[in-house]
Amino acid sequence: MLSELLQGTDVGGFLLIQDSCSYSGRHLLKSFIDAALNREEVVHVLGLDVSEEELKEGLKSFVFQRLHFHDAYADPLGWTDNSPFTVHQFSSSRLTELLKQTAPSKPATLVIDSLSWVLRHISPTAVCHTLQQLKKGGAVRTIIGLLHEDMHSRGIVGSVCRLATSVITVEPGTKGEEALAKITKRSKSGKVTQDEQIFSIRKDLTVTVLSKPTNPGHKRSTTEEQVDPTANLTFNLRLTDAEREAKEKLALPFVFSKEKKTALLHSGPGSGKILYEPDASDDYDQEDPDDDLDV
Amino acid sequence: MAAPVKSMDKPPAEFSPLNFTSFQKKSRTKSLSIPGTRPSVQNGQLLVSSGVTSLDYLLGGGLAVGTVLLIEEDRYDSFSRMIFKYFLAEGVVCRHELFVAAAQDDPDDILQELPAPILDDVAIHRPGEQPRMSCEPQDTLDAMKIAWRYQNLPKVQSALASSSRFGHYYDVSKTMEPEIRQAAKWHRFYHPEHPPLSSGTHSPKLESYSALLKSLRDVIQREGFDLTAPLPKSRNILRVGLHSLGSALWGDDLCCYNNPKNVHALTSFLYGLRALLRTSLSVAVVTVPSHLIQDRALMGSITRLCDNAIALESFKGSERETNPLYKDYHGLLHVRQVPRLNCLASHLPDHKDLAFKLKRKQFTIERLHLPPDLSETVSRVSKGELAGAATAAAACSSATSSAKHLDF
Repeated sequence: MLSELLQGTDVGGFLLIQDSCSYSGRHLLKSFIDAALNREEVVHVLGLDVSEEELKEGLKSFVFQRLHFHDAYADPLGWTDNSPFTVHQFSSSRLTELLKQTAPSKPATLVIDSLSWVLRHISPTAVCHTLQQLKKGGAVRTIIGLLHEDMHSRGIVGSVCRLATSVITVEPGTKGEEALAKITKRSKSGKVTQDEQIFSIRKDLTVTVLSKPTNPGHKRSTTEEQVDPTANLTFNLRLTDAEREAKEKLALPFVFSKEKKTALLHSGPGSGKILYEPDASDDYDQEDPDDDLDV
Repeated sequence: MAAPVKSMDKPPAEFSPLNFTSFQKKSRTKSLSIPGTRPSVQNGQLLVSSGVTSLDYLLGGGLAVGTVLLIEEDRYDSFSRMIFKYFLAEGVVCRHELFVAAAQDDPDDILQELPAPILDDVAIHRPGEQPRMSCEPQDTLDAMKIAWRYQNLPKVQSALASSSRFGHYYDVSKTMEPEIRQAAKWHRFYHPEHPPLSSGTHSPKLESYSALLKSLRDVIQREGFDLTAPLPKSRNILRVGLHSLGSALWGDDLCCYNNPKNVHALTSFLYGLRALLRTSLSVAVVTVPSHLIQDRALMGSITRLCDNAIALESFKGSERETNPLYKDYHGLLHVRQVPRLNCLASHLPDHKDLAFKLKRKQFTIERLHLPPDLSETVSRVSKGELAGAATAAAACSSATSSAKHLDF
């Protein structure tokens, strides 16, 4: 599923990459930027977390004319008077205007690095509002955002995740270069698909998806040995086939005939019927009921 | 109103005091006869169907007119949205009027996604039907060799349904035809279309909620749903659907902070909503993303302010997904509150462990019961886990599960 998301086929979505301090999601974010640039898309990056040089590091230089970097790293709050982009300009009208300046015809991809910085200065309701309006408006093709989930309370993280069409949570993997991605994708019809994949990112920012992780919880249930209690006993509890057959053939003591069963099951009101069935050893002679008396 | 309403087919073996009876009080009908409604057998309230027949049974026959149903959303808002759409689709089929309010999706889009009704109604699901006095008992008798006396006793009746034609069934895989949908009259409130008039007011009410309440009041008064105004010739029910109240898109920071600034915004809105509904012929369904609300006391007061409250907990993404106990179901359903309308005691559902399953033609709510524990190799640890999972789903543990673990 990670490779499908990297191909960026769904339009009008909001992809959220959630990371924590144990594993940074910025490498995955750069892979997404790289994939978008290779697809000849115009990419706008709102840089709040890291500087322009650090973000452009690793990206090929010939794609830079399609990459527009709005630097909010140096001066996010506008303390000096000439800041290229401040946090307070994060509103849908301002951003749409910004995007239309550079690519008036094609809708662009907007990358926000990172949403955590925006949420620090602007109220979550305003941020959610802006993201929703950008999603609905036609100026943006997709929004890709990075969110540090350990910086915010569960409620804020949950509220932002509700808006996202796909959420990728990255965690460190078991081996060195690998990382674990938990992907949740919500389709238009409301169907939710989830997946877990191990991936690693190479130097040229291509993502290789490795096999699915083996969940230790699953292992416990499947490899549990079925202990056979009939083994290792001093007496025999098993049945051979012939013995099993004989067991099936045995007539059970309270087996009644079909008529008796139906009569008992569907007994009418006030019926006191006596049903007599002669047993094998019974000597039933209609003529003489006291035949066995020796008189 | 002499229309015979068939009560639920309860087997004769079971006896419970809160049984549905087929007894119909012959009273001079002062109650209104509106299509798609019926009076409750317990207290004479006018009921409408919620769209899901199992949910109707759970709530005592249906939603009473003038009440609010609160649905606490599941994590990805898939099943609560489904119930929301069922409610609106039922309104379209019964020819009620609709009022849809949402902040995330356009109400037009929500209405486009309504499920198609199954109008010939052939498949009325009767799961608890016993094999009656049949003439050919051969196959049934051979089914049980040793325990044949128990042949005719009912199996565990797990699905909850009442057999009246009050509710309809819907096919989830198809959307409702445009002709049926356009025949319905409906009103909309889409939050981004109503920008805040003044910003920075420090009132306990929120701009968005006040605008919503005002819009609803205007619709009720204009279209003649108000009970205080003189009655027009034909009356109808207004079905109000409010999607995701309390989420950040309504401008409410209830879900974001532990100590939200607008603590009383949603609660005062619900208070006003209930007052508005009590004096009009309307029913409301409100969904709230309760999994984001950190303050449990606030969630409790939101529940108290609504009449009926249910919570959906879907298994997707949680560790319960792999639990073999839950493999047939999509999630658990908790009934948080049932209303006491004009009576002292409310109708409580018989069973507290409920699980739901969304099938193509039906949304079933079933009683969760443990299957018989036949394997002897199940170790003690996992037995305890199963019992723990079952009790965690219910407020009181069921007697059957604890009896299994007695060892002599």
